[in-house]
Amino acid sequence: MKKIKIGILAIILAGSTLTLQSCFNLDEEVFSEVTEASFIPTDKDVAALMASAYSPLTFILNWQGYFDVQEEPADNIITPTRPNGWDDGGTYRRMHQHEWTDQQWQPWNVYLTAYEGINNANRVLDQVKDGSLPVGDLYDATVAELRAIRAFWYAMLLDTHGNVPIVTAFTDEIPTQSTRQQVYDFVIAELEEVVNDLSELTDATTYGRMNKWAAYMTLARVYLNAGVYTGTPQWEKALNCCNAIINSGNFSLSADFSDNFKKDLDYTNSEVIFAVPYDDILAGSSQHMKWYPPVSRFVFQSKFQCWGGSCANPQFINSYQPGDKRLEKTWLMGPQYDPAGNLIWTCRNYLPSLTCNKDGVNYASIDYGYRVYKWEFDNVTSYYWGNDFAFFRYAETLLTKAECLLRLNRDGAEAAELVTMVRARVFDNPADANVTEADLRADSKMNYGTLDWDNNIADPGDQTPVELGGLYDELGWEFACEAQRRTQMIRFGTFSTKNWFNHTAITDGHTKIFPIPLEEIQANANLKQNPGY
Amino acid sequence: MESQRTQPINNKSNKNQKMNVKTILNQMTTNKVILRAVVSVLLITWIGITSEAYAADAPQSFKVSGLVTDTNGEPIIAANVFEPGTNNATVTDADGKYAITVSGTQATISISYIGYSTQMVNVSGRAYIETVLLEDQQYLDELVVIGYGSQKKSDVTSSVASVKSESFNKGAILDAGQLVQGKVAGLQISLPSGDPTASTAVMLRGTSSLKGSTTPLILVDGVPGSFSTVAPEDIESIDVLKDGSATAIYGTRGTNGVIIITTKTSRRDMPTTIEYNGYVSISHQLKKADFMSAEDLRSRWAEGWSFSGANDQDYGATVNWLDEVSRTGIANVHNVTLRGGSSQTSVLANVAYEDREGTFKASGATNLRGRMEISHRMFDNKLITNVSIIANERTTTPSFNTNVYRYACIQNPTQPVYNEDGTYVERPVYFYDNPVSLINETIGEGRSRNLRFTGRVEFRPVESFAVKAMYTRKGQSYLSGYYNTKKHPNTTEYGYNGYASRYTSDYVNNLAEITAEWNENFGKHYVTAIVGYNYEDNTSQNYGVSNRNFPTDAYTYNNLETGMGLTDGNATMYSYKDSDKLIGVFARATYNYDDRYLLMVSARREGSSKFGANHKWGTFPGVSLGWRLNNESFMKDYTWLDNLKLRAGYGVTGINVGDPYLSLSSLSYSGYFLYNNEWISTLTPVRNPNPDLRWEKKLEYNLGLDFDMFGGRLGGAIDLYRRDTKDGLWDYSVPVPPYLYGSITANVAQIRNTGIEVMINAVPVRNDNMEWSSNFSYSTNKNEVVSISNDQFSMSTDWFTTGHTGEPIQTTTHRVKVGDPVGNFYGLKSVGLSAEGKWVVERLEKDDEGNITNVYYDLAEDAGDEDWQVLGNGVPKHYLNWNNYFRYKNLDVSVTMRGAFGFQILNYQEMYYANPTIQYNVLNSAFDKHPVVDLTTGQPTGQEVCINDSQRYVSDYIEDGDYWKIDNLTIGYTFNTSKIKYIRNIRIYGSCSNLFTFTKYSGLDPEVRMTGLDAGTDSRDKYPTIRSYTFGLNITF
Repeated sequence: MKKIKIGILAIILAGSTLTLQSCFNLDEEVFSEVTEASFIPTDKDVAALMASAYSPLTFILNWQGYFDVQEEPADNIITPTRPNGWDDGGTYRRMHQHEWTDQQWQPWNVYLTAYEGINNANRVLDQVKDGSLPVGDLYDATVAELRAIRAFWYAMLLDTHGNVPIVTAFTDEIPTQSTRQQVYDFVIAELEEVVNDLSELTDATTYGRMNKWAAYMTLARVYLNAGVYTGTPQWEKALNCCNAIINSGNFSLSADFSDNFKKDLDYTNSEVIFAVPYDDILAGSSQHMKWYPPVSRFVFQSKFQCWGGSCANPQFINSYQPGDKRLEKTWLMGPQYDPAGNLIWTCRNYLPSLTCNKDGVNYASIDYGYRVYKWEFDNVTSYYWGNDFAFFRYAETLLTKAECLLRLNRDGAEAAELVTMVRARVFDNPADANVTEADLRADSKMNYGTLDWDNNIADPGDQTPVELGGLYDELGWEFACEAQRRTQMIRFGTFSTKNWFNHTAITDGHTKIFPIPLEEIQANANLKQNPGY
Repeated sequence: MESQRTQPINNKSNKNQKMNVKTILNQMTTNKVILRAVVSVLLITWIGITSEAYAADAPQSFKVSGLVTDTNGEPIIAANVFEPGTNNATVTDADGKYAITVSGTQATISISYIGYSTQMVNVSGRAYIETVLLEDQQYLDELVVIGYGSQKKSDVTSSVASVKSESFNKGAILDAGQLVQGKVAGLQISLPSGDPTASTAVMLRGTSSLKGSTTPLILVDGVPGSFSTVAPEDIESIDVLKDGSATAIYGTRGTNGVIIITTKTSRRDMPTTIEYNGYVSISHQLKKADFMSAEDLRSRWAEGWSFSGANDQDYGATVNWLDEVSRTGIANVHNVTLRGGSSQTSVLANVAYEDREGTFKASGATNLRGRMEISHRMFDNKLITNVSIIANERTTTPSFNTNVYRYACIQNPTQPVYNEDGTYVERPVYFYDNPVSLINETIGEGRSRNLRFTGRVEFRPVESFAVKAMYTRKGQSYLSGYYNTKKHPNTTEYGYNGYASRYTSDYVNNLAEITAEWNENFGKHYVTAIVGYNYEDNTSQNYGVSNRNFPTDAYTYNNLETGMGLTDGNATMYSYKDSDKLIGVFARATYNYDDRYLLMVSARREGSSKFGANHKWGTFPGVSLGWRLNNESFMKDYTWLDNLKLRAGYGVTGINVGDPYLSLSSLSYSGYFLYNNEWISTLTPVRNPNPDLRWEKKLEYNLGLDFDMFGGRLGGAIDLYRRDTKDGLWDYSVPVPPYLYGSITANVAQIRNTGIEVMINAVPVRNDNMEWSSNFSYSTNKNEVVSISNDQFSMSTDWFTTGHTGEPIQTTTHRVKVGDPVGNFYGLKSVGLSAEGKWVVERLEKDDEGNITNVYYDLAEDAGDEDWQVLGNGVPKHYLNWNNYFRYKNLDVSVTMRGAFGFQILNYQEMYYANPTIQYNVLNSAFDKHPVVDLTTGQPTGQEVCINDSQRYVSDYIEDGDYWKIDNLTIGYTFNTSKIKYIRNIRIYGSCSNLFTFTKYSGLDPEVRMTGLDAGTDSRDKYPTIRSYTFGLNITF
């Protein structure tokens, strides 16, 4: 009996030794992804890899994205509690009243998305530099472009969060924090260094990408706000950047203001310097769902039903000059009819309060507030829109130059001429379009102060005239809803001094940059919170 | 060999039956005080029973016939029947029947059969006697399945519970989990949903993992499966391995316990029987949320209330929207089993049909199951081969979604269902579709087929040694079609113009297992050993397509190419495939010295392809010891004590990661970028890879005491355990940069669970006519998060928030913090309302260390994160179960009762709908007045107002959840079939489940999900739980 047992054991042992190799193999089999170890990129993949540094930009017009960060805390756009919700844990109220915490979604998203772009740029840069991504003759141009888009992302963070880590390689080393000055220096140095290696073309090949002009415009915006970022203004340098763009002769204002917001916007529009391309199918935007109330479906005969929400601050609407067509080209106003002529709803320039808590009514009627109507309404798509977002328009180059000239007390007449040029297309009567240096240097037409239930001024707050208030208004009207207002208000000193709607100034100025997101601080002990949070 | 070893116990047990009651009482006084009370009650009944057995008899010749069966009602063939002290003797025939002439009407006959306890039956003048023989020392010698084998209950050194089919819950049982609900201490099984397609949720000994699932490893006849692999009626027993020393042999899958389901089987030399089990069940929602009816709404308007959105005006109709989408659910279940066996071959075939309707229209499932098993012995029984096939086809209606329920709740009750032209009333209110249109205008079906082939070979050249090999291939394929007609809101509100989708998936698993086992008796030493190898791979793949904009509704999902979505760019398409491998080698040895000292050691070396390159393999040891005190000489006077065993165990087990590729650095084409006027796919990394990823490890210590006394009349077990989770998996927040994404799956957490489990089984009454058996269990668990950081990943705070309310409140609900238990509610503490109807909450002032230095009161809308505090905990601290079975002659009654205590529930329906300012229909409780408090003192002013505030997550919505449920009541009657030809057994029963709940909780059902980090969440969309009434019939031919 014993022999049998030993025999059996021997058979088992022998058998298992033979099959040991295959019996203990634990290698992964991968089907639906490409493992980095097995991936050998070809030149076709270079574009796909580089694209990963750009594609996060679509967050600008998406949920809780850059649009919200630039518009919700500013004086143009308000998202009150509506009958269909929009309290969302008070997130929009906190944005309006500058009471955000280190867990506020919108600035957190900017932080994460910017670093997604930066990390992807670093990854691909590392691969290009070490040769694992073959780019051949395009080495310099590829490196320059990746560094430029990376600088673009850092410019965004410089503006929103200020003191952020500068990371220039894709490693898992925990980064240390840089000061806002260091981030500023980095952005300037990077862009100045690569700008001449970038393509000068303004055709399909560079549409949506960092060409020389997009880099100059990024520099122009950073220089224009240098005083905010570092305490030292750089008007001259901003002016030079604008001149480089103007002198290239590549750009001109489009005939119709609304051409910049068409569904079919592309590289042929000579006003667009840098655009974020969207496609309703492949890379759509959803911000419009936040703008239009559900009933507008019947007006526009859209396939989808929007969710309502955001509208214009009545104070801002009231600041428009008579005859300025940008009012109607930016905002949805008045009675809204379906194609058969039935009145569906009326869009009123009136908004009682953020929470509208009066007489037992705990919401703002959908009728309240003009709606964003700048982009061509796409009623064919379902849900997503494909209108490209013109991040830098030539109009901004012109108005930036005008601002620099005024700030430098140089040629006020030329400044007025530049502004008039931009205004010419939005007034039927050319005389109305004309502005003088005095107009630009006058106080803002915004009637600042908190509003009561009847939209009368409740608490006027600081009434100091806004320096270059005329230009400030012009920027507001021209670029309303284009994710610029917060930056403008900070530069013109109104962001933490003025009262508007239900916002009372938080005068210590800490809200001019957002807090470093809590989860990032929790995860990276090197990060210190921004002052005041 | 088995029977030899059990001999001494048999003898002692027989002694027990004749034992003097007085002796017992004397000994009792020396024993634990706790047991005394219980035992005294039992003794009183005991005296009654035993005295009856000793009645005197008068000699006189008397003819008796009878039937001998086992506890399953199976006839016992060739059982010995004789009258002691006489030559009167016979054996039972092929039907288990016998006839004998005895000395008189008061004679005693002995009925015996190998493997069963001999039973002495007093004739007491009866001409026909049915006798049920219990298997030898059933309660001590019954085999407990311990994984890769079984052990006698008396030899078990780990915490293992075994539930046999006769103790299963009866009624409309959805899956195997419900069979043992409330039967095993420390194993919480709940069905917090009334959805007939839902399955039971399981938690064993607390939350030991942050990310890993709480689902135990469920083995169906040794092969991993689920609670629904086989029909509940097809199950013979369910064994639960609770502590780590028992489950360590299952390695990375052992942490949540191992539940071993053993299906019914046929035996050799078994007459062919056909058994039918069937029932019809009707169910309704236990409780309906009290939303405003049309009448309620009109009277509110008359009172001067006005509402926006849904309830903006009277639309003239009177509609009970919940009734429009609900119904009485009817379930039909039929189950037939054929069994039989010759001396060499035995077969079993089971077929089952189930049709279960949900209490919401268009929700339900039908199941068709089949199982066949053939065993054959040859070469002098040295070789046993076994082939089994399980097939299962399940059809569900994917038409039901939670929005149906949500929209039915919030719909204006004066709004008609249909317009005058017959179209559905759809209004442009945010997230507000007509629920009737959702149901009626959705067409669809999903069908899954499961197939499992298993082949086993066992070669046993000698009694003490065997080699076993098993190969299983199992798979599931699923195909669904789904269509929204042009009357569905997808078209009427979102312009889809008809929407169709199809989806299919395929899953294949290969499992191969080879074991060699050996056991040997050396005098007082008894040793067993097993070694084995286990290989398993899983491959899953799927693809799905959708299209829209169809020319007609006529095709539904059967002519996808006719949709224009492909041209419009709205058609979708995807496919996916993944696979993983799990390989293990294991060994286990047990040693028994003189039935006094017991030892079990086991180890598994296991690897998984899911782990990082640096950590593919792990070792999982287990060891346990047992000391059977009752067999010690110093205990020999306590003859009433059958078993007293002290157990101690230690074991290491794991939890595997879910996703197979988390350790790999991969790229995928996702997202699009406009490149030279052409949209190209972006190539981006898929995740933050973690090459150090490994199993989540749990170290468990278990101390237990088993006791059995009075011949199985009273027994139980007490277990103390501590489970330390190390390297706990969590989607850990990492800084961006340097990481690409904000989280990485890593082994960071440490969690400790400690607890006590007590189980007591008692049979206070058992005689021919009457039986009362009772099973009581209690468990308590203490959970503590010990750490959420490791060397590589550390957070600057020792907490994170989790759980989320969703729109429009948009906040987190729970917090996981080091030092606190999992499941803590974390938010603002409300004290009442302001005079304006706004929530007033506590605000906190804290010192630098975070200690609260001052509390003051303010409006909730002005409070911030820094004012949040712990508001309760959603995981019950105590669980109590009490099951009773009564039988009087042929009538039996069983009652199952369960309770959970010491926890809170967040009542989402109240939080969302008990607010008169929102834009939807609300609960009547929205108009309840709440006390007004003074903003400076926080004290009530005596005033009361209605809420006039946004919906908020405040402590008022967190309620005590304590409950005690009379969960299942079943009354059955077994007919006397001795005179019916061909029929062996007939039983009918009626059953009610979820019969009654004692609770102060104001929501629908306090039995909510107790697993997960956001335990205690009573979601507003939860499919309401049901009460069901069942009528069933069992017949054996």
